[in-house]
Amino acid sequence: MPFEFRLPDIGEGLEDAEIVSWYVSPGDVVERDQSLLEVLTDKASSELPSPVAGKVIKLAGQEGDRIKVGEILIEIEELNATPPKENPSYESEEIEKHAPEENLSNFNENAGFISVTPKVKASPATRKLARELAVDLASVSGTGPSGRITNDDVRLASTSNEKRNETLPSSSDNKGSSSLLELSGLGYMEPGEHEIKGVRGVIAKNMSSAWAEIPHIHSLDEIDASLLIDFRNRLKKVDRQGASNITPLSIVAAATVRALKKYPMMNGHVEGNPAEKIIIPTSVNLGIAVASNSGLLVPVINEANSIDIFQLAEKIAEIVELARDQKIAAKQMQGATFTITNYGSLGGRWALPIISLGQAGILGIGKIEERPVALDGKVEARPTLPIVLGADHRLIDGDVAEAFKNSIMDDLQEPLNLLVTE
Amino acid sequence: MTKTTLAGNVQLYGFWRIMSKPDDKQLQMILEDMVVARTQAGRLWNLQRQGQVGTIAPIDGHEAAIVGAVHALEPESDWVLPQYREPLGLRRYGPEVLDAFMLYNLGHPAGGHIPDPIKVAPSQISLAASIPHAVGLAWGMSLKDEPGVVLVFFGDGASSEGDFYEAGNLAGVLKAPVIFFCVNNQWAISTPTHLQTAADSFASKAEAFGIPGVTVDGNDPAAVYEAVFEARKRATTGKGPTLIEATVYRLGAHTTADDPTRYVPSDDLSAAQEKDPVHMLTKELTDRNLWSDSTQKKIEATALERMDEAFEKAKTTPLSPDSLMNHCFVSDTPRQLRQRSFLMDAGDTS
Amino acid sequence: MNNKVSELSMLEAINETLHSEMARDERVVVLGEDVGRNGGVFRATEGLIEKFGESRVVDTPISEAAIAGSAVGLAMAGLVPVAEMQFLGFSYQAMHQIAGQIARLRYRTQSRFEPQITIRAPFGGGVRTPELHSDSLEAQFANIPGLKIAMPSTAADAKGLLTSAIRDPDPVLFLEPLRGYRGIRDLVPDEEHIVPLGQANLIKTGDDVVIISWSYQVELSRRVAESFEEEGISVAVLDLRSIVPLDIEALIEIVSHCGRAVVVQEAPETGGFASEIIATINDECFWSLEAPVVRVSGFDVPYPVGMLENLYVPDETRIRSAVLKTMENG
Repeated sequence: MPFEFRLPDIGEGLEDAEIVSWYVSPGDVVERDQSLLEVLTDKASSELPSPVAGKVIKLAGQEGDRIKVGEILIEIEELNATPPKENPSYESEEIEKHAPEENLSNFNENAGFISVTPKVKASPATRKLARELAVDLASVSGTGPSGRITNDDVRLASTSNEKRNETLPSSSDNKGSSSLLELSGLGYMEPGEHEIKGVRGVIAKNMSSAWAEIPHIHSLDEIDASLLIDFRNRLKKVDRQGASNITPLSIVAAATVRALKKYPMMNGHVEGNPAEKIIIPTSVNLGIAVASNSGLLVPVINEANSIDIFQLAEKIAEIVELARDQKIAAKQMQGATFTITNYGSLGGRWALPIISLGQAGILGIGKIEERPVALDGKVEARPTLPIVLGADHRLIDGDVAEAFKNSIMDDLQEPLNLLVTE
Repeated sequence: MTKTTLAGNVQLYGFWRIMSKPDDKQLQMILEDMVVARTQAGRLWNLQRQGQVGTIAPIDGHEAAIVGAVHALEPESDWVLPQYREPLGLRRYGPEVLDAFMLYNLGHPAGGHIPDPIKVAPSQISLAASIPHAVGLAWGMSLKDEPGVVLVFFGDGASSEGDFYEAGNLAGVLKAPVIFFCVNNQWAISTPTHLQTAADSFASKAEAFGIPGVTVDGNDPAAVYEAVFEARKRATTGKGPTLIEATVYRLGAHTTADDPTRYVPSDDLSAAQEKDPVHMLTKELTDRNLWSDSTQKKIEATALERMDEAFEKAKTTPLSPDSLMNHCFVSDTPRQLRQRSFLMDAGDTS
Repeated sequence: MNNKVSELSMLEAINETLHSEMARDERVVVLGEDVGRNGGVFRATEGLIEKFGESRVVDTPISEAAIAGSAVGLAMAGLVPVAEMQFLGFSYQAMHQIAGQIARLRYRTQSRFEPQITIRAPFGGGVRTPELHSDSLEAQFANIPGLKIAMPSTAADAKGLLTSAIRDPDPVLFLEPLRGYRGIRDLVPDEEHIVPLGQANLIKTGDDVVIISWSYQVELSRRVAESFEEEGISVAVLDLRSIVPLDIEALIEIVSHCGRAVVVQEAPETGGFASEIIATINDECFWSLEAPVVRVSGFDVPYPVGMLENLYVPDETRIRSAVLKTMENG
């Protein structure tokens, strides 16, 4: 590999030089530092000495040619055996230069680049608050100077969002309803076309397939939730780890797990489309549907059958928080055998939920609200909990579905059953 | 102007004996250093033309003045503050000077660090800026009762800077043990000396400082030696600073970025080339059988090997991205820390 | 540990510190115009030449460049020079030695030389000085890497910061407010007192807005902050104490807490150090801000003559307005 001598910048900022005259020809043997040629630059004419000893192979330009800095002037076959070295530049190249944008993102650790609806007047602190409370600034009217939105305006807007989900605490400890809202406001999308991608894309695909493959039956019922609520209040005060995490949802989850142990078919699922196999798993992996900013996520509690109600409550609280903050790992959202969905936290009473692919059933629970209930011939106002069981009719017939549902309803109406260890 | 005077006697100074004028052995050493300087300067010029080092200021024509001066100094106690043309002539101060100089030419930050205990400061690009430094250093040494002097090199052009006058004035008042050594090579890039000053000579400016000013033939290393010896004696006996003007001729370009054919009259240059100090001393010593062609060739070859070795070492000296942040303060400020880790992360991606 | 304190003016504190540091470290050398026999035109160096002698307290010719430049040489010799610029405005004459040499000595030589150099200089308005005697140049120096800048607002801090500056192996510009020489008096520890550089002082806590300042303006800011107590606005005051290095942590903490800030400087508005503070607030606490940060500063004109001085230098009224403006904004 011949040594390539390229035109250096010999004059502190040259771009090119003219070849005035060559002192050597191809075939000549040259010594190190021997003058090879004379070049003319803006500043001066200079002789260029050879960096190596060897035989001239090729002259890369003729007298009168203009050569740019960095282009080859001459090729020399080196006489000694050492491999050709690069012309080391005397500028340290190791330090890379970065575009200004990168500088900014490295230096400004706290500078978020969250796009907020333009033309809304609000201070940085107010914007941050709005984001935390998932309030859409575009929908808030500002009472500050020049129509600026104040922190109080944001808080007001947030509490009116909340009022819809008071009595059944959702899976999250604070204003859970807000966790369903998109960054730009609940149900809001800019007019125009949007690409379906990310979590939304996955959800769309899964919902389509599930609905297409699984023939759903739904069984709807309503229970008197008085004892459920009483149970919850008393259990919370028990001196036991996990007691503080006891919620109506976790109690429903415990009842569901018990029922799944009794009716393993509800824990199983059908494989193949058209149906080929029935899979009955050994453990109950309970999925809990959670609303997050990017859509519905379903984190899973594995082996829910081997833990008691307190541990179950604790685990539910933990994964729900992770999922809500979108910090849940993908692995932890796989392998569910049955799912519970709590649309009561959204303020809903009745719904017909869609079963997830790979499962045969889903339990939906609505908001606990007072309703007239007939007791011993008299009508009384009682807190009631609506529940809906969805089941895959390829595997589950009405008898199994009803028995399963009744087991849950019985446990919810006599919650002490849930403390019986098997 | 006063002529150089010969002190006559050997001056005893501490443990060292510095001769008032160079004997034959010293002249041989002087010539050797001059030949080495000339040879290495040639290689350095070529390296620039090959794109391997940055801007170079060739030493050609200045060798006798520089080498003659440092041979009258005692490296163990005396400091040299160069401008930028001198380093190749400071061989007397040790190989570390060349090693650092090659790093400097390469553009490596380690080039600024000439290690302790070598009493040579790194090159100073800002003309005349080291002159007050020299004054403060000399003054500090005398405050600490440390023996020795400081010799600061600067050119005819630098003597027009304010720092020269302020420092010279201060040194006179303090009687600082400093030697102001002006190498008048007749040109400040393209400005000839008669456009640089209306004074009779650069040495005459010493009058403004109340110190002696001495002119000496800079092409005669023995004369330079004697002048520096005298100045050193004055300084070390509490008589204060001296301004020495050594007259030479710049035989090459100002730097590799300069074209002297645009302004140097060719007759002047030819005349100066007749008085090339390296040739003159070579001839003198050869005539006296103190030098030979084979000696010269050997010295030239060794000089080139030594430069190659120093350059190789320089090229293989490591440089990490965060070297950029080192040695600004003893320890980083919070912002510097963040900038440093940015550089380290950026370095990782390369 | 002796906890005795004495009430001193800032000038007395500076003088006392110079005495004690020169006694403690024989390498310390004081140099400047009129610093010796005259004890300094403000008497900051009073008594030093009598105690430590002519070789360590040196009356130099009027050569700011040589004063700064020889400080480099003294540091190269292993001494600890404390050089005085008679007024900060005249440091321009020494600028190239300060910026091009002192600030770079360590970097250029990769720490072969230790630039343990302190440059003391008075500056600041309110005392009707002639031209160039009051100019606030700290922002210009702050943009020079390699130079630290200390700006005390109290006598105690003057002692503490000057002690740190003299002992710091890096070069430090120590800026003394003219109005504060005699106008600032407070309790100063008798014994050794060190205030590290890079450590701001929250001299008053508050929740609504913080006034950030340095040097003499801190005192004015403190008075303004206290006057707001009755009006129900809780105003904090952050004294930066050194602008290089800047105590970014302290800045973040108080600004994030309050969400509102006012920055006060005597220097002209454009390119002043307040700009740097606000840029830093932008980098670090943007999302905490309830309102834009307000600057109070001099005007973009050269420092004016005596009759116009009161219009130029920020005073309590202007600081107060700035606080109200930032409160209104939110």
